[in-house]
Amino acid sequence: MKKIINTPESFVIEMCRGIEAAHPELEFVEKYKVIKRKIINKNKVTLISGGGSGHEPAHAGFVGTGMLDAAVCGDIFASPSQIQVYNAILKTQSNRGTLLIIKNYSGDCMNFDSASAMAKEDDDAIVDSVYVNDDIAVKDSLYTVGRRGVAGTVFVHKIAGAAAEAGKTLEEVKALAKKAIANVRSIGFALTSCTTPAKGAPTFSIGDNEIEYGVGIHGEPGIAREKISSANSLAERNVADICADINLDKSEIALLINGFGGTPLQELYLYNNAVTQEFKKRNIKIYKTFVGNFMTSIDMAGASVSVLKLDDELKKLLDAPANTPALKV
Amino acid sequence: MEFLTTKNIIDIIDKMAEVIIANEIPFCEMDSVAGDGDFGMSLAKGFKQLKVDWNSLETDNIGVFLKSCGMVIMEYCGGASGPIWGSAFRGAAKASAGASQISVRDLVKILRGAIESIQKTGERSFGRGAVVGDKTLIDALVPAADAMEKAADKGYSLFDCMEKAAKAAVQGAEDTKKIVARMGRAGTVGERSLDHPDAGAYGIGVIFTAIAEYAKSFK
Repeated sequence: MKKIINTPESFVIEMCRGIEAAHPELEFVEKYKVIKRKIINKNKVTLISGGGSGHEPAHAGFVGTGMLDAAVCGDIFASPSQIQVYNAILKTQSNRGTLLIIKNYSGDCMNFDSASAMAKEDDDAIVDSVYVNDDIAVKDSLYTVGRRGVAGTVFVHKIAGAAAEAGKTLEEVKALAKKAIANVRSIGFALTSCTTPAKGAPTFSIGDNEIEYGVGIHGEPGIAREKISSANSLAERNVADICADINLDKSEIALLINGFGGTPLQELYLYNNAVTQEFKKRNIKIYKTFVGNFMTSIDMAGASVSVLKLDDELKKLLDAPANTPALKV
Repeated sequence: MEFLTTKNIIDIIDKMAEVIIANEIPFCEMDSVAGDGDFGMSLAKGFKQLKVDWNSLETDNIGVFLKSCGMVIMEYCGGASGPIWGSAFRGAAKASAGASQISVRDLVKILRGAIESIQKTGERSFGRGAVVGDKTLIDALVPAADAMEKAADKGYSLFDCMEKAAKAAVQGAEDTKKIVARMGRAGTVGERSLDHPDAGAYGIGVIFTAIAEYAKSFK
């Protein structure tokens, strides 16, 4: 597999330097691999997320007005260390406290939780956390106890980010983040494997006419390996699975069609058309749609569907301005 | 000699790093049965960095030294090993704060401090800390601390106490073969873990055995 690369060892750092160069409002703290807003607003709750690299634009692409204040970048598909997270907390402290938005993976939870405990114990920092577990595909996995956190995390960043920007307290921002988490669901499928820079070869093998249904964002297994079907029948199944997990009767939703990195936008838009028809059939109103690569698995082909069930409060926060490299509202 | 000095502890941690680096591959193989097979590599990564940073570690006293080691381990051990082993060093450092020499009683306290700190780390992320029987490194650490305390009560020498602790750690690891994992990620593979020791507990057995042997050279 060909990649634009110098060395696997310098991959993440060089990528982050590139992000900083393209977005002068962001600053890359190289020692701890943290992408942060250059100017930290001391009068709002600080929001930090992060995790393994390989999911770009997540999470560095969501640092900016109306969303995150910092993203902590681990190595490819590996949690950042607690020292990285700890230093991210210290470097972005405001007078209103810090909320960590953690995708539910054991490694991420342990490192973010330990960093939070250390910042509280040693530095009297005010830190709290929420855990995103939107993937309905599997209950437990090789990497998690409970459900995995995937593309729906972007909605949590958006909702919590708008709440923080509006000057709400840490408790209020946390409650709204938890409300978003309670109302977000995702399911995805892969057409090909991802290829990590270190290995340079596909992580898993998959036949030309096969898909992995319910795939995770590290190329880890989902529900079933099966024959590929049409976009319409995949959409029908994705929507049915989501509706079976959360009651969307007479609801309004925000829809996020997420590409895993290797699927062209034309297919994502085509897939959005198919998914939109499915929701229409079920009389579920789509209030807002996002289509693009938000939570990728490096170069994996495939897509996921995320749904945020809305009420007036969440709608308002969803509509609030956001200006980040990867999401503008 | 019935006390260990700061210098002795530094030498012991040096030995520990050496053993962990030498066992990188065996520890990984042990973990691949019921885990994701990264244990040896993750652990060695942190201890290799410890050796790189060796001369810049703070050595004012035992507590300061152990805390300084913990910071490197937290930063460079990958996966769950960073928080677990880092917190063990942090707990050990708290239990030996300010000390420049320690008795076997202090050593028991340090072990207990490490155990408690690991349990707190688990509690934060999984709702409860591991106890003996959960098939984790706690299954080796707790029997080791208990055996050391018991040996101290009987008046054994410091080195004999360390040897008893090492033996108990090895036995504790052996006992994990009979257990189905239920904590952390290994907990999700369940039955597959039967008949295999927990990699972390096994690692503690290997490390403590090497340390007990090495400590004899302090006499």
